[in-house]
Amino acid sequence: METLLAIVIGVLYAAGLYLMMRRSIVKLVLGLGLIGHAANLLIFVTGRVQRGSSAVIPPDQTVLVAPFPDPVPQALILTAIVIGFGTQAFALVLLKRAYQAVKTDDMDAMNTTDR
Amino acid sequence: MAQSEITQADSQSPLMAWAMRGGIGWVLSILPLSLTLYFASLLPTITSGTVLRVSYTWIPSLGVDFAFIVDGLSLTFVLLVLGIGTLVVLYAGGYMAGDRQIGRFYLYLFLFMGAMVGLVLADNLITLFVFWELTSISSYLLIGYKHAYYSSRSSALQALLITGAGGLALLAGLVLLGIAAETQTISELGSRHELIVNSGLYAPILILVLIGAFTKSAQFPFQFWLPGAMAAPTPVSAYLHSATMVKAGVFLLARLNPALGDTPAWQITLTVFGAITMALGAYLAVSQTDLKRILAFTTVSSLGTLVMLIGIGGEHGIVAMMVFLIVHSLYKGCLFMVAGNIDHETGSRDVSILSGLRREMPITFGAAALAALSMAGLPPLLGFVGKELIYESTLDARFAAAAVTTVAVASNILMIVAAGMVAVRPFLPTGTTRHSTPRHPHEPPISMWLGPAVLATLSAVFGLFVVQVMQPIVTQGAAAILGEAVEVKLKLLPTSITGYFLLSVLTIALGIVSYLYARPALMQAGKATRGALEDGFVNGFTDLVNNTQAFARWITRALQSGYLRRYVLITIGAVVSVASAALLTRADLSAIRLFDTPLFLWETATILVILAGVALVLRARSRLTAIAGLGTVGFGITLIFFFFGAPDLVMTQFSVETLSVLLFILILYRLPIFTTISHRYSRLRDGIVAGLAGLLMTMITLLTIAGEELKPLTPFYAEASYVEARGRNVVNVILVDFRGIDTMGEITVLGIASLGIYLLLTLRLAPADGQAEAEDSTGKEQL
Amino acid sequence: MNLVVFLPLFVPFFTGIIGLLLWGKPQAQRVVSLLGGIGLTLVGANLLLTVIQQGIQVTYIGDWVAPFGITLVADLLSAIMVFVAGMMTLSTVIYAIVTLDAPRERNGFHVLLHFMLFGVIGAFLTGDIFNLFVWYEVMLISSFVLLVMGGERAQLEGGIKYVTLNLIASALFLSAVGILYGVVGTLNMAHLAILVPQVEQQGLITTLAILFLFAFGIKSALFPVFFWLPASYHTPPIAVTVIFSALLTKVGIYSLIRVFTLIFTTDTAFTHTVLLIIAALTMILGVLGAVAQFEMRRLLSFHIISQIGYLLMGLALFTPLSLAATVFFLVHVIFAKSALFLVGGIIHHMTGTYDLKKLGGFYRVSPVLSVLFFIPAMSLAGIPPLSGFWAKYALVRAGLENNQPWIVAAALGVSILTMFSMTKIWAEAFLKEADDGKLRENVPALQSIPAALRLPMLAPIIVLAVLMVVMGVAAEPFFALSLQTAEQLLSRTEYVQAVLGVQL
Repeated sequence: METLLAIVIGVLYAAGLYLMMRRSIVKLVLGLGLIGHAANLLIFVTGRVQRGSSAVIPPDQTVLVAPFPDPVPQALILTAIVIGFGTQAFALVLLKRAYQAVKTDDMDAMNTTDR
Repeated sequence: MAQSEITQADSQSPLMAWAMRGGIGWVLSILPLSLTLYFASLLPTITSGTVLRVSYTWIPSLGVDFAFIVDGLSLTFVLLVLGIGTLVVLYAGGYMAGDRQIGRFYLYLFLFMGAMVGLVLADNLITLFVFWELTSISSYLLIGYKHAYYSSRSSALQALLITGAGGLALLAGLVLLGIAAETQTISELGSRHELIVNSGLYAPILILVLIGAFTKSAQFPFQFWLPGAMAAPTPVSAYLHSATMVKAGVFLLARLNPALGDTPAWQITLTVFGAITMALGAYLAVSQTDLKRILAFTTVSSLGTLVMLIGIGGEHGIVAMMVFLIVHSLYKGCLFMVAGNIDHETGSRDVSILSGLRREMPITFGAAALAALSMAGLPPLLGFVGKELIYESTLDARFAAAAVTTVAVASNILMIVAAGMVAVRPFLPTGTTRHSTPRHPHEPPISMWLGPAVLATLSAVFGLFVVQVMQPIVTQGAAAILGEAVEVKLKLLPTSITGYFLLSVLTIALGIVSYLYARPALMQAGKATRGALEDGFVNGFTDLVNNTQAFARWITRALQSGYLRRYVLITIGAVVSVASAALLTRADLSAIRLFDTPLFLWETATILVILAGVALVLRARSRLTAIAGLGTVGFGITLIFFFFGAPDLVMTQFSVETLSVLLFILILYRLPIFTTISHRYSRLRDGIVAGLAGLLMTMITLLTIAGEELKPLTPFYAEASYVEARGRNVVNVILVDFRGIDTMGEITVLGIASLGIYLLLTLRLAPADGQAEAEDSTGKEQL
Repeated sequence: MNLVVFLPLFVPFFTGIIGLLLWGKPQAQRVVSLLGGIGLTLVGANLLLTVIQQGIQVTYIGDWVAPFGITLVADLLSAIMVFVAGMMTLSTVIYAIVTLDAPRERNGFHVLLHFMLFGVIGAFLTGDIFNLFVWYEVMLISSFVLLVMGGERAQLEGGIKYVTLNLIASALFLSAVGILYGVVGTLNMAHLAILVPQVEQQGLITTLAILFLFAFGIKSALFPVFFWLPASYHTPPIAVTVIFSALLTKVGIYSLIRVFTLIFTTDTAFTHTVLLIIAALTMILGVLGAVAQFEMRRLLSFHIISQIGYLLMGLALFTPLSLAATVFFLVHVIFAKSALFLVGGIIHHMTGTYDLKKLGGFYRVSPVLSVLFFIPAMSLAGIPPLSGFWAKYALVRAGLENNQPWIVAAALGVSILTMFSMTKIWAEAFLKEADDGKLRENVPALQSIPAALRLPMLAPIIVLAVLMVVMGVAAEPFFALSLQTAEQLLSRTEYVQAVLGVQL
C-alpha cells in the first residue's frame, strides 16, 4: 500500500513540475498546487502511515496507547496546508494582476525585466 | 557653453592668488622635505651596517604585522621617493597653477607617496601588498585626473587592470611564499631560502611573483600600459611613471632576491625578459615624436635593464642595479620635468617642431643637457659610472654573456639617440622654422625649473663624488639584496683599460654617430613595425577586454533568458541530477521493499481517483476542467488522510481545498481557454525531466520507509499531551502548545498574504514612482 | 524564558502589529517603524555582547525543553547576523522615510518591512528545522508583497518569477524536512546533530543534504538556480532592494552554514565538493552578468550573486580560517552592497535614472558622493586597507593552504572583474562629463536635495562607509571574533551542550 502511495507522490511531483514548465501562467499555479499536495503527502507517508486509530487520547485514558499514528507529521502537514493556501491565494491574485498588465497568459511574453 | 576647467576666480585675496599661482607647492613640499631630511639623518647608521626594524601587531589572526625595516635597499628607495617627491610637489604647484581640482590632485599625490614609502619600508609580505595595491589605486586616480577626456579614463583603466591583475597574482604568490617559508616577515625569508626552493611550491611562487613584478614594472609583454599612462599630468609622469611606482616591481624583485634568487629559473627568466624589455623599449623610443612618449619608452627600457641586472645577479649585477637605479631616477625625473616645462611654455610636445629653446629657457636647457649626458653615459656624470657597471656585469654574466652584452650595447646606443632627441634637439637652434609652436616660450617660474636643476646637479655631484656619496649606501643596498655583506668599490674614472671601458667608448661613439645620421632610418623602421610592436599590444589588450565583455553579454543573455519555464527546467534539472547522483552512488537501493503491506479496496480506489484527477489537470482544455481535476486530487488526499487516522487533517484539507477551488474559479473566471501550444520537443523534454523528478521522490520515499523507524519524540507527546498540556487531541496540542510558535508563524503568513492581496488589488502605481494616486477599486469588479 | 534571545524576535513583530493598528496614520507609522529599527539594533547588540561574554544563549519556547518544544538558539553566528540585520533595518527605515513614495509608505511598507524582519530574525534564531521553514515562509510572503506592491508591470513580471522559483524552493525545503523527520524522527537541530551520524542509511542522508543544499541554494541565489534575482531585484523602489540585498540571500547562506556545519557533516567528500564547484561557478557567472550590465541596479544585483559565491567558498573549504573568512565576508558584503545600492538610490533621486549611459559628472560636482561611492566600491573590489581585502585574503589563504588552487584562481579572476565593474560605474557616473573635454551641464549636486532630507539620506551610507574602513584598518577584533565563530560552528559541542545539555 505504501508503495502505491509512494508512486502517487512521484506522479504528483512529476505532474506539478511539468505544469510549472508550461507557458501558461494558469498552468503554473495549478502545478504549484499539485506540488503542494505532493509535499504534504510525502510528509505523511514518510512519517509512517498507520491504519485504524487516530492520535486522540480517549476519555478514559491519560496517555496515548499504541498503536497510534505519529502526530508530529500531521501537525507539520497542517501547518504546511495553511501556509500553502496563503501563498497560493497570493500567487493567484498576482497571476491575475500580471495577466491584466500584460494582456496575455503566455509567460514567454513576460521577459522584459531580464533583458 | 563649455566652461574651461582652468579658470581664475574673479576676486581673491592676495594669499589665495599666490596659492593659485603655485605657492601652494612651496608650502606642501615642506612635508616630504622634512621626511627626506629625517631619513637622510639615518644614513650614517645604515651605512655602518646596522639595520633598523620596528614592528607593531596589526592582525595577528591573519599573520599580518605592521612591520618595517630600514636597510640599505629601503633607505635608498625611501630617499628617492621622498626626495624626488619634494621636488615634484613643488613642481606640480607651478605646473598646475590655477587648476580647480588641485586639492584633489595633491590628495592623491600624497596618498601615493605614503603608499610608496610604506611599500619600500615594509617588512611583512602582506603589509607590503597592502601598500602595493594602494599605489595601483592612487596611480589610477592620478592618471585619470583629466577625467573629462575618454583617453585619460581608458589609459587609467588599462593601467589599473594590468597592474591589478598582476597584483592579484602577486597576492597568491606571496601567500604561497609565506606558506613555504613558514613566516610572513620579509627579513626572515633570506634564512629560509633552502626551505622555499625545495618546498615544491617554488615554481608557482616564482611565476606568480614575477607576473606581479613584471606588470608593475612594465616588463615585456606588459610594457604597453606605461606609454598609455602618459595621459596623466606631467608631474605624475615624472614621479610615478619614471622614478617611483614603476620601480616597485624592481624593488620587489630585489627585496625577494634572498628568498627566491640564486636559482637558474630566477636568473634566466629575469635576464631574458629584462633584456627583451630593454631592447624593445629603446627601439620603440627613437621612432616617437611626442616628448613624453620617448621618455616613456626609454623608461620601459631602463626598467628592463634593472630587471636584467637582478637576473644576472652576483655582486656585479646587484651593485650595477643599485647604481643604475639612482642614475635613472635622477635623469628621468629631470627630463620629464623638462618635457613638462617645454609643454607648459610652448604648448607642444612634438619634437619635430621644437627647436632653439636654448635662448628662451636657459636654465631648463642646462638641466636637460646634464641629464642627457647622464643618460648617454658620459663622464663625469653618474650615468657613466652606471654604464660601466652594467657592462662589467653583462660581460661577467653566467648565462649568454655575449648575447646579453650585445643587446645592452645596442640598447644603450639607441638611448643616446633618444637622449639627444629629448634634451638636445629642442634646445639647439636649427635652420628650420621657429615659432611654429602654439605659444611663445619663456623660462618657467622657479618652482618648475628648481626640480630639474637639482636633479641634474645631483647627477653631476654624485658622479664626481661617487666614492664618498654613492659607495656607502650602495654597499648596504647590495648587502640587503644579496643577503650577505659585500665589499663595493666604485670609481668614476677607469684605472685601466678594461673590456667594459672599451664598450662604453664604443657605445658613446656609435651613439653620437647614430644620433647625427641614423635617425631617419630609425624613424622609418619604427613606423614600419609600429603595428606589431606598439599598437599590437594595446589592441590585443583592448580586444581582450572587449571580448570578455562580449562573452559576458552572450552568456548572461543565454542564461538569463527571461523565460520562466527555462528557469524552472534548469532548477529542477540541477536538483534532480545532483540528488540522483548522490542517491545512486551512495544509497543502498536494495533495501527498498516494494510489496510488504496488502492493498485495500477503498484506498486503492481513492488512489485511482487521485490519479484520474492528475490526468484531468494535465489534459484539460478548459480552465474549469483543470480546476476540477485539482480539486479531485485535493479531495482524494482528504480521503487518504481519513483512511490513515488523521481527522484533523481531514477537516483542514477539506475546508482548504474547498476554499482553494472557489478561489481558483473566482479568479480565473474570465480568462480564455488554454491556447498556447508548446513544441513537441519541449513537451517531451519537460516531461522527461519532470518524470525523473517524480521518480526520484518516489525512490526516496520508498527508501525512507524501508529504513528503521525512529521516533524519539513521539512517546513524549503521547504521554505529556494530556498530563501536562491538558489536551486530548495530540495533534492539536502539538500545534498550539508544544510547537505553538509554528502556528503563530503560519497565522502571520495568512495575515500578510491577505494584506498582499488587498494591496495587489488596490494599489496601482504608474511606472514613475508614486505619481499616480492609489486607485480605489472594488475587488470584485476587478475579478 | 531567556529574554535576551527572545527580544530580537519580539521587537519586529510588535512593531509590525502596532504599525498595522496605526493604518492610515503614516506619520505615526514612521515613528513606530523608526523606533522598531532602533530597538532591534539595540537588542541585537545586547544579544551579541551577551553571547560573546557568556556563551551560547538558549530559550525554550513555552518552556518545553528541547527536543520536544521549539528552541531559540543564539550562537555567535546567529547573534552577529541578528545585530547586522538590526542595523540594516534601521538604515532602510531611515532611507525609506526620506525617499519612498507616499502611496507605498501609506500602504503598509513599514508593516511589511518589520514582518519580513520577523521572519528573518526567526530564521537566524530558531533551533528547529521545521520552524525554520515557517520563518522562511513569513519572510518570503512579506518579501513577495514588498516586491510587487505598487503593481507596476516590471514589478509584476519580476514578481512572478521571484514568487515561482521561491515557492519551488519552499516545496523542496518542506519535502526535505518531511523526509528528514521520516528518517531520523526529530526536528531539533542539536538533536539532529547527534542522531544523523548514527542513521544507517547514510546514502539517503547525503541525498537529503543535496535537497537542502538546493532548497537553500535557490534562496541564496547560487548557480544554477539564481535566475529569480536579476529578474526581480531591480524592479521595486531602492529602499526595498536595499533590504532585500542585505538580508534575503544571506538568510539562505546562513542556513547553508548551519545545516552543513551542524547536521550534514558525514559525507563532506561529496557534499563539500559539490559546494566548491557551485561556489566557483556562482562567482564567475555572477560577475560576468554584472560586466554585461549598464544599469546600476542590475549590475549590483549580479554582484550579489558573485559575492554569494565567495561566501560559499569559505563554507566549502570547511576549515576554521575559511569559515572565519565567510563570517567576516558576510558582514563586509552586507555593508558594502547596501552602501552601493543606497548611493545608487541617491543618484536616482537626483537624476531620475539608473542608466550609466545617461549619467555623468558627479566626481566634479559632488566630492562627498564620490567618496561615499568610492569607499564601498573599492571595498567590494577587495582593495586594502578596506574590509573587503581581508575577507578576500583570508579566503585565498584558506584555499591555498588546502590545496585548492583552482577555486583560488577563480576567486582572484572574479576579483579583477569586480574591479572592472566598479570602475565602470565610477567612470560612467562620476568621471565622465559630456563629449570629450566639455563639461556636462545640469549635473545636480547634493545641495539640490532639501537640507532636511539630505542628512538622513546620507547618514546610513556614511556609517556603513566608516564601518568598512574600521573593519579594514582595525580588522583584528572583527577577524578574531570571526575565528571564534568558525571554531564554535565546526566543533558543534558547545551548541549541543547549550541546547540539550549533553555532550555530542
